[in-house]
Amino acid sequence: MAETTHNTGLLSVRLVTPQRVVVDTTAEAVELPSMSGYLETLYGASPLLAELGAGEVRLHGGASGNEKFFVAWGFAEVLPERVTILAEQAMRPGEINVEQAKADLQKGEKDWAEAGDDAQSYDDANAEIRVAEEKIASAEGKAAH
Amino acid sequence: MPSVLDLRRRIRSVKNTRQITKAMKMVSAAKLRRAQEAALQARPYAQMITSVLESLQRRADIYDPTTGEAIHPLLVQREEKNVLVVVVAGDKGFAGAFNSNIVRAASNFIREREALGQNVDVEPVGRKARDAFRRLYPQAVYERKTEKYDNDLSEHHEIIRHRAHKVELTGEHELLLARLDFNTVHAMVHDIVARFERAEIDSVYVVFNEFKSVIAQRVVVEKLLPIAKLGAPEITAAEEMSLEQKEAAGHAARTAGVSTLEPEETAIEREAKKFGTADVDYIFDQSPARIFKHLMPKYIETQILHAMLESAAAEHAARMTAMDNATSNAGDMIDALSLTMNRARQAAITKELIEIVSGAAAL
Repeated sequence: MAETTHNTGLLSVRLVTPQRVVVDTTAEAVELPSMSGYLETLYGASPLLAELGAGEVRLHGGASGNEKFFVAWGFAEVLPERVTILAEQAMRPGEINVEQAKADLQKGEKDWAEAGDDAQSYDDANAEIRVAEEKIASAEGKAAH
Repeated sequence: MPSVLDLRRRIRSVKNTRQITKAMKMVSAAKLRRAQEAALQARPYAQMITSVLESLQRRADIYDPTTGEAIHPLLVQREEKNVLVVVVAGDKGFAGAFNSNIVRAASNFIREREALGQNVDVEPVGRKARDAFRRLYPQAVYERKTEKYDNDLSEHHEIIRHRAHKVELTGEHELLLARLDFNTVHAMVHDIVARFERAEIDSVYVVFNEFKSVIAQRVVVEKLLPIAKLGAPEITAAEEMSLEQKEAAGHAARTAGVSTLEPEETAIEREAKKFGTADVDYIFDQSPARIFKHLMPKYIETQILHAMLESAAAEHAARMTAMDNATSNAGDMIDALSLTMNRARQAAITKELIEIVSGAAAL
C-alpha cells in the first residue's frame, strides 16, 4: 500500500464516524473545513492536527473520484501520505434532510434568543445555527470554499 | 389420567410453542450478529479519540504547574457527595435474567452509596431499567431561574436543582438501544457533562452488561467521570458469568451458528492506535490545549456509546440463550407427554383386550 501511494502520490483517506468507517479510499487532494477556514492538503503535506467545524470534506481525484461529505464536527490528522478524519456525522449532500435542517436552524435561533448572558448556551446555539446553515448550503450545493 | 385426545392436544400446543421459541432464538441470533458488527464498527473511532487524547495529554499542559491540579473540568476530582449512575438495560423482556441482573447490580450500587451518605441520581436507559426504578424513586426537580438586570436589557439564567430525596431519577431514555442514534447519545452526554461541570454531580458511573463474546460477558459498574486515566476504564464492580450460564450460552450460540470467539483486531483498529501519535512535530491548527478541551467530551460519548452497543449485543445474546433453553425444555416436555400418551393409549388397548377376552371367557 505504502509503495503504491508513494509512486502515484495519492493520499490514503479515511473518514470515520462513531458508528462506522464511512470511506477508506485514496485521493489526490483533500479539502477540510477546519475551524479556521477551509484547507486543502496534497500528498507530502506537513503533519497537521486540526479541529473541523461544520462544512464539507471534499475528496478530489484518486479512487474516490470527486466525493463530498458534510461533517458537523470533526477532527483531522494529516500525515504526508495519509489523511484521517473523525467526524460526529458524515453524510453525502444528497442524504441531508433539508426540512430537518431548517427546523434545526429555527430551533438554534430560538435558543440563541433565549440564551441570556450564559456564554455556554450562546456557544451551543451558535454551533447549532452554524451546523444547520452549513447543512442547508451543502444540500443545495452552495457550500463555501 | 388424561385421555389420549387431551394429551395429543397438549403435545400439539407445546410443539407450537417450541416452534415459536426456536424462531425467536434464530431472530435473536441474527440481531446479535448485527449488534456485534455495529460494536465492531464503532471501535476505530473510539480508539482514535483515545489515542489522540493520550498523545495530547503529554503535549498539552493539562496540569497546572503550580497547584498540580487538572485544568480540564472533566479531570477534576471532587469529594463524592452526589453521584450519578447511568443504568443501561434492555427495552424488552424474554431475555432470561439479563435485565434483572443489571437492575440488581445497580440497586446494590445505590444501596452502597446511600450507606456512605452520598446522594445518588439514577438515569435509566432502556424501558426495563426505567420501569424498575420509576416505582422506587421520585423524579428530580429542576428550576430555571431568570434574573433581569441592566434595566431589563440583559437576563441571566440559572438552572437550580432542588434535591429533596437521597435517591432521585434525573432522566429516562427508553428505546434508545433498539435504534441507536448517535445524536441521542450526543445529547445525553452533553447534558451529563454540563451537570458535572456545574458540580451538580461529583462523579458518574455506568452499569451495563459488558460483551466481549457470547461466553465472555459480565455486568460491570464503570466509573466514567472524573476521568482517572484515558483509555483505561475504571471498573469498580463486576459480576462474571457462572459456568452453567457459559455452557447454556455456548450451546445456544453453536446451534444458532454464532461465533463464541472474540472478534479479532482489524487493520484499521491497529492503525487507529497510532492516530495523532506519529513521532513528528505536528502543526496544530488550533492550540493543543483547545483541541484537548474539545475532544474530552467526545471521549465520554464514545464510552457511553460503547456501553450501549455492548449492552444491545448482550441483550440479544441473553434472549438467544433464553429461547434456546425454552426450546430444549419444550422438547423435553414433548418427550414426557408422548410417553404418557403412549402409556395411556396402551392402557386403553389392554383394557379393551381384557374386556373382549373376559367377555369370551364368560360365554
